[in-house]
Amino acid sequence: MTATQDRKEAAQAGAGTRTINLIQAVTEALHEELQRDERVVLFGQDVGARGGVFMATAGLQATFGKERVFDTPLSEASIVGAAVGMAVRGLRPVAEIQFADYMGPGFDQIISQAAKIRYRSGGQFTAPLVIRTPSGGGVKGGHHHSQSPESYYAHTPGLKVVMPSTPYDAKGLLKAAIRGDDPVIFFEPKRLYRAAKGEVPDHDYTVRLGEAAIRREGTDLSLIGYGGVMPDLERAADALAAEGVGVEVIDLRSLVPWDRETVVQSVQKTGRAVLVSEAPRTANFMGEVAYVIQNEAFDSLLAPVTQVAGFDTPYPYVQDKIYLPGPNRITAACVQALNH
Amino acid sequence: MTQTSSLPIPSTPQPFTPQPIRYVAEDGTPVQDLPAAYTPERLRELHALMLRAREFDRKLITLLRQGRTTFYAQSSGMEATQVGLARSIRVGHDWVWPYYRDHTLGLAMGVPMFELISQCLGSNSDPSRGRQMPHHFAARKQHFVSISSSIASQVPPAAGNAMAQKYLGTDEITVCTFGDGATSEGDWHAGMNMAGAAHAPCLFVCENNQWAISTNLAGQTASETIHIKAKAYGMPGFYVDGNDIVAVMEVCAHAAQWVREGNGPALVECLTYRVGSHSNADADAEKNYRTREEVQEWLDRDPIVRVEKLLEHLGHPIDAEERARLISETHREVDEQVIRAEATGQPDWRIMFEDVYADLPGHLRIQAAELRAEQEGSAK
Repeated sequence: MTATQDRKEAAQAGAGTRTINLIQAVTEALHEELQRDERVVLFGQDVGARGGVFMATAGLQATFGKERVFDTPLSEASIVGAAVGMAVRGLRPVAEIQFADYMGPGFDQIISQAAKIRYRSGGQFTAPLVIRTPSGGGVKGGHHHSQSPESYYAHTPGLKVVMPSTPYDAKGLLKAAIRGDDPVIFFEPKRLYRAAKGEVPDHDYTVRLGEAAIRREGTDLSLIGYGGVMPDLERAADALAAEGVGVEVIDLRSLVPWDRETVVQSVQKTGRAVLVSEAPRTANFMGEVAYVIQNEAFDSLLAPVTQVAGFDTPYPYVQDKIYLPGPNRITAACVQALNH
Repeated sequence: MTQTSSLPIPSTPQPFTPQPIRYVAEDGTPVQDLPAAYTPERLRELHALMLRAREFDRKLITLLRQGRTTFYAQSSGMEATQVGLARSIRVGHDWVWPYYRDHTLGLAMGVPMFELISQCLGSNSDPSRGRQMPHHFAARKQHFVSISSSIASQVPPAAGNAMAQKYLGTDEITVCTFGDGATSEGDWHAGMNMAGAAHAPCLFVCENNQWAISTNLAGQTASETIHIKAKAYGMPGFYVDGNDIVAVMEVCAHAAQWVREGNGPALVECLTYRVGSHSNADADAEKNYRTREEVQEWLDRDPIVRVEKLLEHLGHPIDAEERARLISETHREVDEQVIRAEATGQPDWRIMFEDVYADLPGHLRIQAAELRAEQEGSAK
């Protein structure tokens, strides 16, 4: 769905739109879901009175009370594990982990409990929960505040993995994640929290997990990414447009499930694919996207599928901006594909 | 049926005791007055449940040796702990997050033997649909939540389950069981701490059988007992002779009542012993890591024999004929259920793709189609 389509949908619903940033979209989604369903509870470290490290939950405890929005001990295993238990017992927990980099102590709870309980019990017990966490770099956070661990979770059957890049998507995807019946790891690109601004409709809406958004249409090259890198994809596409190159920009929005159809159709049209992610290159989720493209659109390819990613190093502090695949590196990869 | 405790509910956490609470000595003599509820009829019923679990173990080991299942973890020697716990809670009302040696607990909670056997065989009648290795049960009706192999990973979810019960305003409690080895895991400490901080209605029960595969209690912790660790999490810790079913029932019911009355979580440590090997994977336990003398010492403290001796002491002995009848009935029942479960066949490959998510996503549809083509091709 394009941004224009988003606005059209809002207009069709007879509602107005507002311009907000990504973190406001997260807060609105949480507020509305807490209001809509009493089973929704929100918790994590500092989410209560303080409103979370990035203030995503600001004001929610004051509105909904300490029973529904509460602080927990400093323990990711507890936060995630408790979410599993609450979900099994019938609540709709939304847990916040302060940074994706801190999910390590909760990893076993995510992969052994949340991801598996439906399957291993034959559907007798289920864990519909959401784990929200800021991820990605670009904020001078060093490696414990900048990593992009989504591939670990995308590799685990039973989990859904989401990463929005616009306020519209952040709100709609988060609401869909909370209403869904599966465990969802919801990565929020922290450098876009306030940088990404956009329209959201006044009315209630959701964005279905597993559908990519075509941000702009083009016929020469498919530029595919998700999360924090999306503004850089747009900048690269602008630069190439100035040279007369039509770039189709696709935002995956969800990694599990991901929208193979939109990607394959786009590459069949353009013949070229450049895949962008800021996560380390080896075993990067985009490797799976590249595999599917070469498997299903091989005959259409005019150039090898190219990947622009972070480096296989821990995320550096001083070289913060150099590490990220910025518009220059993305543009260079596109030029290489175009000149093949 | 819920056990009602005859112990007074303290207004402050129970003092920690250096020796396990006991009602019946190893020779069957009561060491303190037995509560009136323990009539000979009731003791007979508990004895029958324990004996049935023991014989279930024996038959399942036979099944393993016959190659009809591939994994089994005995609970022989721990029957008083698990049956006693089952009889101290409200089955199907309270929620249980069990650990992997809890089939006796499941049996005593009324999980049908047919379901347990179906799971061990991975048959079509397995409620878990053949997804788990044998002995990893789940039973919705009894609120017996799925067993995980990942040690102590059930502890934080149990805390969350209890937090949900508190939020929902139910009078349910959550019971979370684990072995002594689990208390070394970070998840155990995380879950205990979370439940304590949240004042959640969670009853933690350590089935301290003194061996985590080949690591004994002394190698597991320098702590004198497990139950004293409860203090650090702000909850009462109870220490009970896990081979004395009266003591287990009294203490577990007491602790459950404490929890149910909104006092927060509690920990019960049941000191018992795993007389068999950890699983079929270490059949030579006696040869490798523990002595025959140690095992014999605990065989002499057999919880089933203790009830028999108690009944004898009370003037209501179980005669040999009755015991033999109970054993043969269980053997016959296991045999019948194995035949019945095997007759249901094995789950079709198609179900491998179900229950991963609430609905089948596109990529799994594609993979299922690939496997279908492969299966249909190989069938030609």
